[in-house]
Amino acid sequence: MKTKTITSHAQTFTLHPSGALYWHETDMLLITDVHLGKVSHFRKHGSAVPQSAIPYNFDKLDRTFAHFKPRVLCFLGDLFHSVINSEWLLFSEWIKNITAKVVLVTGNHDIISPLKYEEVNVHVTPQWQIGAVLLTHIPEEREHVFTISGHIHPGIRLQGLGRQSLSIPCFFKTPTQLILPAFGAFTGNYTMNPSENDEVFVITEDEVIQVDLTRFMH
Amino acid sequence: MNKNNLQQIAIDWFEQQNWTPFAFQKQVWTAFLQGKNGLLNAPTGSGKTYALWVAIVLEYIRKNPDYLSEHKKGLKAVWITPLKALSIEIKQAAERFVEGIGGPLTVGIRTGDTDQKERAAQKRKMPDLLITTPESLHLLLASKGYDQTFKNVTAIVIDEWHELLGSKRGVQTELALSRLKTIASQLRIWGISATIGNLDQARQVLLGSDSSAFENSTLIRANIKKKIKVKSIIPKKMETFPWRGHLGLHLLEEVIPIINKSKTTLLFTNTRSQCEIWFQKILEKHPEFAGEIAMHHGSINKETRIWVEHAIRNEQLKAVVCTSSLDLGVDFAPVETIIQIGGPKGVARFLQRAGRSGHQPGKESVIYFLPTHAIELIEASALQKAVKDKIVEDRVPYLNSYDVLVQYLTTLAVSNGFYPEEIFPEIKSTFCFQSITKEQYQWVLNFITMGAQSLQSYDEYKKVEIEADGKFKVNSRGVAMRHRLQIGTIVSDAILTVKYMKGGFLGSIEEWFVSKLKPGDVFTFAGRNLELFKVKNMQVLVRKSNKKTAKVPSWMGGRMSFSSEMSELLREEMYLANSTSGKSRELNALNHIFEKQRQDSIVPGPGQFLIETFKTREGYHAIFYPFEGRFVHEALGSLLAYRISLLSPITFSIAFNDYGFELLSDQEIDMQQVLDNDLFTTDFLSSDLRKSLNATEMARRKFRDVAVISGLVFTGYPDKLLKSKHLQSSSQLLFNVFKEYEPDNLLFQQAFTETFEHQLEEGRLQLAMERISTQTILWKRCQKPTPFSFPIITDRLREKLSSEKLADRIRKMTIQLEKS
Repeated sequence: MKTKTITSHAQTFTLHPSGALYWHETDMLLITDVHLGKVSHFRKHGSAVPQSAIPYNFDKLDRTFAHFKPRVLCFLGDLFHSVINSEWLLFSEWIKNITAKVVLVTGNHDIISPLKYEEVNVHVTPQWQIGAVLLTHIPEEREHVFTISGHIHPGIRLQGLGRQSLSIPCFFKTPTQLILPAFGAFTGNYTMNPSENDEVFVITEDEVIQVDLTRFMH
Repeated sequence: MNKNNLQQIAIDWFEQQNWTPFAFQKQVWTAFLQGKNGLLNAPTGSGKTYALWVAIVLEYIRKNPDYLSEHKKGLKAVWITPLKALSIEIKQAAERFVEGIGGPLTVGIRTGDTDQKERAAQKRKMPDLLITTPESLHLLLASKGYDQTFKNVTAIVIDEWHELLGSKRGVQTELALSRLKTIASQLRIWGISATIGNLDQARQVLLGSDSSAFENSTLIRANIKKKIKVKSIIPKKMETFPWRGHLGLHLLEEVIPIINKSKTTLLFTNTRSQCEIWFQKILEKHPEFAGEIAMHHGSINKETRIWVEHAIRNEQLKAVVCTSSLDLGVDFAPVETIIQIGGPKGVARFLQRAGRSGHQPGKESVIYFLPTHAIELIEASALQKAVKDKIVEDRVPYLNSYDVLVQYLTTLAVSNGFYPEEIFPEIKSTFCFQSITKEQYQWVLNFITMGAQSLQSYDEYKKVEIEADGKFKVNSRGVAMRHRLQIGTIVSDAILTVKYMKGGFLGSIEEWFVSKLKPGDVFTFAGRNLELFKVKNMQVLVRKSNKKTAKVPSWMGGRMSFSSEMSELLREEMYLANSTSGKSRELNALNHIFEKQRQDSIVPGPGQFLIETFKTREGYHAIFYPFEGRFVHEALGSLLAYRISLLSPITFSIAFNDYGFELLSDQEIDMQQVLDNDLFTTDFLSSDLRKSLNATEMARRKFRDVAVISGLVFTGYPDKLLKSKHLQSSSQLLFNVFKEYEPDNLLFQQAFTETFEHQLEEGRLQLAMERISTQTILWKRCQKPTPFSFPIITDRLREKLSSEKLADRIRKMTIQLEKS
């Protein structure tokens, strides 16, 4: 796994190919848009998405968690895709083995009652500000604050010689905020248009690669 | 009443109309009254409706001699038409006969356009003849007690069967027929088809292979000989005629005298955007046609389309620019001339369009071919030969379409429910599923009941349930409702309606085009320049704009390919280019292009296989010219790209047309190595082809259709966007999930099978490769693009294949900004 470490607003962050972000100063792992329960939600409505895809998100969470062993695990919203279903059981089993403190910053898809989360020791909050850093689901620009968010599933289109083009998920950084790619499998991308002061880090299976914007901006 | 007395009723009525029945009409009456099934081969406007409808009525009279005073209630006959637009014509014809002989029989229409009230009324009391579409027929099968509705049906007619045959709507029709055969013991099945290459197979598909229905059937040909004259419009100045292009506007002025000379002219274009542009440009250059020229395509609202059709019949129009929306049905007597803009890609389609003109008996049909770029003149020349020699392509029926089967079985479960062992023999009797095994059937049953092949704990999959007595049934209202909304096999993008802000419906448009527009942008639609105001609730609100420049929606449409017969003709024409005599007008007009081609490369002869390589600022191009038609080139191009990609890590963008294919890369291909390694070999052909499909994105496109038809993807409730939001997913994502987690899923596999096997007639690729192996390969290193390569290298619809590591590719690439 080739990660990438950056600093912003005097804080240090490590970008992981899974789409997770590790914040060194607070020993916190940030993960957004897992959309748990999506497969089961589709199946419940008669769309036979393979069941074997269900454990994938949990396995990926395990691997990423084991890599950083953080003190705090923070989900930046859209942890569950819809109403409660059988995947909640898998989640409550999984969370038992997590030693870290777990926080959910709620997103638009998070319609499961906060009480259910409290039962499994997940603390629920609409936003979370730590010093000059604001953790939120929906991206927003705020003065003197560095925002970390998710929601839009950022991606980027790349092109090359020989009429090549690729659409690929990315971490999207502006001077005032950082938007994380969706962590969950079975989610799509939204194509971003970076401008001069932005930074783009695309993720592959095992690598985080910064895209050189300066060469190609016109 | 004996047969002669019966038929006399019809003959008398024909005489009252001053008509004489054609031989084929009488043959159909006789065969039908003998209880036979059959296929009638007759063109549009030949009186085919009366051939079948009269027979159905006579059969009713035979059984009910007191038909004038007594009316036996209930549905007696079903007429399937592929186009809703045709149903009114059929209804009028049917009613004319019934009223003429004084019978009390009624005719009704049930399509997607039929309103709820009318449907409910029909449910209570079915008309004697019901005109409907394959989709609406399946919707009837999805309603409770459908067996009672169809019990006494004596005839089902499948009109324009050739249009359905090569599509999944054909499979849908086969399945419905397999059910109706059991329910309606007196059923006779008749198809009506235009001329296609495989008429005998068409009959077999319709009636079921080796079925008793097929045994007891006949093929009747109308044998109406029509003289067709093909004229190419050849540019006066060949030197300035473009090497590529798809609009053909260079020749607009040549079209004007042709329009002026005839009563009514139909101009057929291949796409809706081309149709819009031609309509606008004619009006712009020749405002004198205002009010006398109209446009007709599938996205324009129904009222306008019907108005245009009426106006053609009433001789109010000089010209109509149209698409395949005017290919079928309706008789347009005033049409004297047809102009085909750009290659029609098929002889059958070309003939069908030519047949839209000169309907008076003995009159010659005239069709002009307007090439949109130079090389298309070769196609024009080949088409003339095809018309002369009556070479018509096949329509290839689908095999093992599990997606349609999944949908059909769910349909049966939604209405009455079904017992699998009762339905299996019916399914097995269809052409499509003739080779289905018990195991495959069980797979489908498991799929609709468990959404998997085994039951898992905690699983909440819900669709079809198995009741205590073994009946397969849908009991959830939600599942039933979502299923009914999705019945059908035509998969399209989400469709939005275009409306003026003040009200007034203009037509419908694909979502992906609108998604590229911002409020304030001006686009051309329905012949007008419109400014986008906003998009809300599946509606595109617009106002008129006076701006001159506008974006034109380019509707995606299936790209068609030459049949093997047409490809052969095309090759033969091409080979003539090198000879000094025997050349057609079209080929002679191309002399200067051939000269240019020879400067840097060659014009290949029969024993030669040409490969050209050159470099442009786009990268390294390699063009191969098999002249085998687009479908063969798609397969061959992917195969070759795959085999080359095994030699060393490389990424390709692949383009295809009917003449050849291109492999474009950022690296130079080592062509000598390609030739030395014999990469055109037919060894391991099918496994390599399979692997190349895995490497390209081609199966994805097919999977989209499969996923929607089988109900894996829910396309949403009309006007209820929010509620279904959590159920929306793209078939692209689903494809990835299946690729990763359930690659052996029959529906996933089907996408791969369909990509090549369906579009390539059996062994066509193998034959093409064997032919190439007998040719001398001529590799020309060119300085710049040649005239032959031009239409291919400028094609923007491309496939990708890569054997490079993703990270390595990313490092070579740059950001592509969305146009804002």
